[in-house]
Amino acid sequence: MSSPSENEDVDQKMKAQQALYQVIDPELFVNVIDLGLIYEIEFKGNDIIEVLMTLSTPHCPMGDAITNGVKNVLEAEFPGRNVKINLTFNPPWSFEMLTPSGREQLGV
Amino acid sequence: MADINIAKAPPASAVLPFYATGSLAFCALCLLLFLSPASLTTHYFNPHLLAIVHTAALGWGTMIIFGAAHQLLPVICQEDLFSPGMATFSWYTLTSGAFLLIWSFWNMWVGWIMITGGSLVILSAIMYLINVLCTSRICKKYTLQKLFLVTSGCWLLFTTIAGLLLAINLAFPFFSKNHLDILKLHAHAGLAGWFLQLITGVSSKLVPMFLLGKSSKEQLLKYAYALQNAGMALFLLDGYFMGVGNRVIIYIILVLTGSICWILYLYDAYKHRVRKKTDTQMKHTFISMICLVCSFALLPLVYYFPDSHQWALLYGTLLFMGWVTGIILGKTFKTLPFIVWNGHYKNLSGKIKVPLPKQLYNEGLIVWQFRLYIAALILLSAGVITRNLFVIRIALGIWLAVAAVYIYNVLKILMHKTTVPQ
Repeated sequence: MSSPSENEDVDQKMKAQQALYQVIDPELFVNVIDLGLIYEIEFKGNDIIEVLMTLSTPHCPMGDAITNGVKNVLEAEFPGRNVKINLTFNPPWSFEMLTPSGREQLGV
Repeated sequence: MADINIAKAPPASAVLPFYATGSLAFCALCLLLFLSPASLTTHYFNPHLLAIVHTAALGWGTMIIFGAAHQLLPVICQEDLFSPGMATFSWYTLTSGAFLLIWSFWNMWVGWIMITGGSLVILSAIMYLINVLCTSRICKKYTLQKLFLVTSGCWLLFTTIAGLLLAINLAFPFFSKNHLDILKLHAHAGLAGWFLQLITGVSSKLVPMFLLGKSSKEQLLKYAYALQNAGMALFLLDGYFMGVGNRVIIYIILVLTGSICWILYLYDAYKHRVRKKTDTQMKHTFISMICLVCSFALLPLVYYFPDSHQWALLYGTLLFMGWVTGIILGKTFKTLPFIVWNGHYKNLSGKIKVPLPKQLYNEGLIVWQFRLYIAALILLSAGVITRNLFVIRIALGIWLAVAAVYIYNVLKILMHKTTVPQ
């Protein structure tokens, strides 16, 4: 059985994920969750949110816009918290990371 | 932020002036053609056609490519642009150099104005090459695309130096060889060395990226690189020392085979794409490839029927107005809206509702641009083959419409103001 703090953590992650649906890749017109760009969201203490994420291609020309979008959305959703973005290309993004909805939006 | 370096976009001054000037040059190109339709019915070595070809090659093709390359180099090399200042400075030299050259050719003023123009263009090629070399030198990952970019920059420098020597030779003859033979070498170094290799390198990165496709057949790009360069180098050496002879067919086959390898690579990425819907911009690329293949098919006719000028003119028409123009007309709207959007909305994303990059221009007009481009190209080719001045005039009228539609959308993007909902 999970503890209340674990439940709170799950709730917060759900809330963060829900908020990230608003961040759209400007080129693909699909949100970052359905694109599978977000690998992990971690709430550290009461003031830090760490996001482990990737981009569809290294040095994606829209990279800054996407990471800024993630930061801005989470800061608005969780006022007072500092959002830290950790970018990784390990594993690199691949088509398999698209959610079924993402595939549908891309017309796959 | 992560330790991974996301290359920062170069300042707008290193990119946008090239797009603005290039689109104006495209309008000037269509206007010059419209003012001088008869130049498409005679031998290609005539003042107006020389001005027109240099407007297409320098003012239009090279100008837009410089702007796009300054933006894309960080993407391809995964490193910041070495010198945005040098990139900006190359705009001044390329613009003034191209203008002086075009003006001198139009009026056939051989002499110091033409030579100054040629020298300024060389200066631009040097600055561009330094930027390419120094940006890619610190590149951590070796890529074939990088190799294509560096080699094409070297070919550009070679082409511009040969061009300057030709300009000097017009005023102060010193060549022991025939001027027109050297002109052929200069033209093909520019077409197959600069344009073909740059487009091969950039498209093999961007087309899979835009289609969300991938190809595992990188080997094809290696063959493309080796064959295109071997064909070009042998053509130039043989052409210079022995004169352009029957062996030219061997070099054509080498470059053609290299180009087929590249097209097969793109086709493989297309076959394995995630994004099934092909947009109008990508359709422009498809037509431009057809024009390239057709121009290769025309080469034996150009070579074996040198007195029938229409084959050489059709060859140039397909390359400049079909291939180079087609790819730029499409790719402009795959790059420019994103560059401008990034400048306006990069930091606002996620804070407020922002427009999408495709909302910065009129998408419906892109469809019309595509239709007009195809109509203009077919009519112009028909007019050139039949030497029918009436058909050529109608075609050039349609080209003016293509230019008007294109520049409207480019200016709409460039003059976009940040829109923040109240």
